[in-house]
Amino acid sequence: MRSIAPIDIAGGIALVAILAVAPMLVSSNYLTGVLTVCAVYGIWASSWDFMSGLTGRENFGHSLFIGAGAYTAGFLATIWFTNPWLSLPLAVVIAVAFSLLVGFPTLRLRGPYFALAMLSASAILQRLCLIFWEYTGGEEGLYGLDPLIKNPLHYYWFVLGVLVVTVIVLTLLAQSHWGLLLRAIRGDEATCQAAGINVTFYKIASLMISAGFAGLGGALYAHYQLQVSPPLFSVVVSITVIIMVYVGGIGSIYGAAVAAILLTLLTEMLRGFGEYRLWIYTLTLMLILFFLPNGLIAPLWRRVTERLR
Amino acid sequence: MLQILIYGAVSSAIYAMLAVGFTLIFGVARILNLAHGSFYALGAYAAYVLTSLLGVPLFLAAPIAVLLVAGFGVLMERFLVRPLRASQLAVLMITLAVSLAVEQALFITFGSEYRNVPSFVADKLSIGGVDIGGQRLLALVAGVLVLLLLWLFIQRTRLGAAILAVSQDPEAAQYMGIPTNRIFSIVMAISAGTAALAGVLVSPFLTVQPTMGLLPMVKAFAIVIVGGLGSIPGSIIASLILGYSETIVAYMISTSWTELVSLVAVVVTLMIRPSGILGRRAAF
Repeated sequence: MRSIAPIDIAGGIALVAILAVAPMLVSSNYLTGVLTVCAVYGIWASSWDFMSGLTGRENFGHSLFIGAGAYTAGFLATIWFTNPWLSLPLAVVIAVAFSLLVGFPTLRLRGPYFALAMLSASAILQRLCLIFWEYTGGEEGLYGLDPLIKNPLHYYWFVLGVLVVTVIVLTLLAQSHWGLLLRAIRGDEATCQAAGINVTFYKIASLMISAGFAGLGGALYAHYQLQVSPPLFSVVVSITVIIMVYVGGIGSIYGAAVAAILLTLLTEMLRGFGEYRLWIYTLTLMLILFFLPNGLIAPLWRRVTERLR
Repeated sequence: MLQILIYGAVSSAIYAMLAVGFTLIFGVARILNLAHGSFYALGAYAAYVLTSLLGVPLFLAAPIAVLLVAGFGVLMERFLVRPLRASQLAVLMITLAVSLAVEQALFITFGSEYRNVPSFVADKLSIGGVDIGGQRLLALVAGVLVLLLLWLFIQRTRLGAAILAVSQDPEAAQYMGIPTNRIFSIVMAISAGTAALAGVLVSPFLTVQPTMGLLPMVKAFAIVIVGGLGSIPGSIIASLILGYSETIVAYMISTSWTELVSLVAVVVTLMIRPSGILGRRAAF
């Protein structure tokens, strides 16, 4: 793992500048909306990558945290009618609480328990949303959320800003001593334990951080859609996020964010394919697993920048 | 009271059919198959296509459906899982991808509306004053029979002995001349076949739709964790525990809360005894 080179920073600034200016050049609300969703997926993908990419513990239910954050925003807006800005910190708190609930019993253990429990928990929560429809609005979900910022362009810039902060914070954490420990856990958990590292603590803490950002992204998404519905908890959301990370290059964080933006744009272009879209996604994942196990974006960027150096 | 006893037994039998296949392929080949639920859904859809669209008689449609899905399972193991077996993560990813691909394929071909499959037996039986659909009773009987046959197969035949040997130590088994890869294929066929049979048997009284596989698979995860990953008797005991506690919760409180039972069971098991009821391997 190399440290952050000036060229990486330059590339990042250039990309963010392009993203920030793009909707002003085209000036269509449609593009602004799509880019907002891109940025939200970027937050989800990079937060997934921080926990699962670094520690190698695959989280198959990231939608649990996303949905928890979004529904927190939904409940705040439709039941308690509080200041919508309150939903951002509260979404983080609720998502972190969920991560403790699942992470504490499962991350102590070796074996596939964490992966199974996350997948189960998100599937069951989606089901509960439908069963307790009196509170959650059932299939329809909750409506009538207030936008955080009225102007869509300003809201897009805000979400883009959150994405940039997310990627910077997570990258700095991943480059730090802490990130080194997480990668060591991925390499050999038993050796880490023997070296006196509290493996369980680091795994649970990184899951909490990952969940917090995912919940924040969920609330931002809810305030963009102005509604929340059960599909937010679905396995499809989790797998979409995972595919983005795989395309970006697992463990790189910036790769995950860039891949999320590109793939969301691509998804919009594939809208004509309708219901075949998810098929294309799934096939992409299979091809990547077989032919590009290291991903696409991060290795490509590394190769390009090495030439320039 | 008797109602709880009978309905609990029916759902336990269905859970057991799903969970045993899931735990078998994990115990023998170390494959954690996240596509297990799609075998169940494919079984139900195969029964639907054969009976409602092609007019095949039911008693013939059921074995054909099971064989088709078993074949699908073998192909999946051979061409998608085996090349990636070196990495546990890649296996999880590829099986999850398969399950999504199957769900989408069903969605595209059949749409999201519910499909009906005719009952094998239309009559209702009355046991001690409790009415029970003949179809549910058939599911119970078939489930018990299949589990018994599976147990006899593993305990009493040479092939069963080979399967046990591979589950204990694949390398040593290979040195003894046991064709490990062929054993994996056979176990995958059994695992997919039992899941498909469960799907066929429930198709007349549960809804047949593309996403039907996910929740039963989640239940199978829960059962396997409670019973101990890789242990067949453990997963049968856990199926009984979960099947009955769900039925009791449904009768005493409300059906809304049944979905929580498996989640609570998993959390309690992982807190108190992570290796499960009969899990030999310590999970720590």
